[in-house]
Amino acid sequence: MTFTLEQGEMLGIVGESGSGKSVTAKALMNLLPRTAEIDGRVRFDGEDVRALAAAGSRHFWGVRMTMVFQDPMTSLNPVKKCGEQIAETLRYHLGHGRVAAMKAATDLLEQVGVPEPGRRVNQYPHQLSGGLRQRVVIAMALACEPDLLIADEPTTAVDVTVQKRILDLLDSLRKERGMSMILITHDLGVARGRCDDVAVMYAGRIVERSSTETLFDRSRHPYTDALVRSIPRIEQPSHARLDPIPGRPPELIDPPVQCAFAPRCRYAQADCLESVPPTEGVGESHEFACHHPANTPRGREALANNVAAGVTAAGLQISYRKTR
Amino acid sequence: MAGSGHAPLRGGDSTILEVEDLTVEFRVGRRDVVHAVSGISFDVLEGETLGIVGESGCGKSTVARSIVRLNEIAGGSVRYLDHDLAALSGAALRSLRPDLQMIFQDPISSLNPRRKVREVIAEGLVIWGDGQGVWSRDRIDELMETVGIDPEFGDRRVHQFSGGQAQRIGIARALALDPKVLICDEPVSALDVSVQAQILNLLEDMKQRYGLTLVFISHDLSVVKNVSDRIIVMYLGKACEIGDADLLYEQPRHPYTRALLASIPQPAPTVDESEGDISGEIPSPVSPPGGCRFRTRCPYVSAVCISDEPEMQQVGDSDHYVACHHPVVR
Repeated sequence: MTFTLEQGEMLGIVGESGSGKSVTAKALMNLLPRTAEIDGRVRFDGEDVRALAAAGSRHFWGVRMTMVFQDPMTSLNPVKKCGEQIAETLRYHLGHGRVAAMKAATDLLEQVGVPEPGRRVNQYPHQLSGGLRQRVVIAMALACEPDLLIADEPTTAVDVTVQKRILDLLDSLRKERGMSMILITHDLGVARGRCDDVAVMYAGRIVERSSTETLFDRSRHPYTDALVRSIPRIEQPSHARLDPIPGRPPELIDPPVQCAFAPRCRYAQADCLESVPPTEGVGESHEFACHHPANTPRGREALANNVAAGVTAAGLQISYRKTR
Repeated sequence: MAGSGHAPLRGGDSTILEVEDLTVEFRVGRRDVVHAVSGISFDVLEGETLGIVGESGCGKSTVARSIVRLNEIAGGSVRYLDHDLAALSGAALRSLRPDLQMIFQDPISSLNPRRKVREVIAEGLVIWGDGQGVWSRDRIDELMETVGIDPEFGDRRVHQFSGGQAQRIGIARALALDPKVLICDEPVSALDVSVQAQILNLLEDMKQRYGLTLVFISHDLSVVKNVSDRIIVMYLGKACEIGDADLLYEQPRHPYTRALLASIPQPAPTVDESEGDISGEIPSPVSPPGGCRFRTRCPYVSAVCISDEPEMQQVGDSDHYVACHHPVVR
């Protein structure tokens, strides 16, 4: 996969479980296990990040590039007070003294909207609600004023009203600090509402990437298109029939050389089963990897053929034509 | 928001389930009591889908579990047809179990990992018989086919299936006993989005095919609207608003309902996004606030909200009830 991120921008990476979203984040953060084989390059502000890893640079991750994880309870140390955990980051990376670090930790908690920060620094994670814990994790990630914050499903474990507050907070912090962000989520609504650009992953590849508006209004990859249609929308009347994606995501052990989505795709033609579609429009504002992109003449023709035959090249039965 | 009162009960012959003043409490430690559900009343008509929506800790799962008596009921009644489930025990309660079945959030951990899926699905029939005191393999195969699992895989175990398939098996297990009411506790929350729609459609098909009545619990407002005829919005053990699904989302009256609808990433067009900015945290259910339970976070709070608990009141003459001293009219 290839993508670039501008300073101050928010990139969303969406996909289902097992699509490779979190592995991507971990690769960027140098958190993958030793058994992982990594190829390619990650450049951060002109520097080769993987060379930094080899050089054992300890003050890059956690300082310039930081990460917020899904479950705040497991990313906090349960037997250490919240303030100490934030202060630890400052003392280790920036060499702050104990007192200065605790003072800074209190300030950070205040910045991320934790009420009564002076009391909270002395509490343990289990004494806080899920929303507050996630704020503590965000405060830790922001402690060294990073240039890039990677948030891996930061609101999946919290309720909707809390989710809104956390996302509002990340948004305003990003704007205040000119920080870049990568937001990893399975929730298309979150990506649509919050990101400048969105990349859709399927079976370990980016299958489509563009500005958020283009991606949702003029999607090209049949997977993106199908995903958007399969979600119940709040403005639909109740009992509206949903348009599910048939089948399930592929196994990634020895995948066949073909488009990974072909077995579930209504557009699939013979060529989809013969080769992995190359990514079109690389470096442009809208890229996608599909032989027969949706909402194009090529795609319409493929779909019409399949509908006429009642079956796709991959053997998927199609009984009716989907209408938007 | 603390809504109590019986206004939302419609009564009538087609009522299959009637919950009246249901109260559930759990003891924690020596003295403390968690007020999980405090005086909630609603009814479900035959063939209807009732959605229960709310944030974690609001008591929605406790309501569901109380209906099938998975937890003790501290007060109130749960009437299924002519039986008060809250008052029954032993053989009398057991004889009604086949009628009320449940499917759970985590499809894999809610099914026995050591059994073949055919045995998992058949277990209820082994205990109950399928009407004639026997069960047949054909019946299991038919059920598996109905929910979209190839009967060929009947000898596999649950861990060999994906989450979506395991949830289908959970549905087949519940359907095996030919239930009248199916209680679904967050049945799609653990599933990927592309699989979620498959399961929701399957539930809708099964409902038609077997004439089921559904109680559907979810925190996802869009999902609940999609499946439900009628919806209850819960907060801290109380009902805030009850009504026809489309009506409730079109004209939400309770400040909390509005806050929920404004908090989702693509807010409902009927509310202003700023209404989602409710302050503070949900209070502890060990010592819930007096008066309206939402008053500590409500932008419309006044003296009466602190002194008096709001009663459920009908909105106009429609199927829409709200428990609020200051319902929002826009």
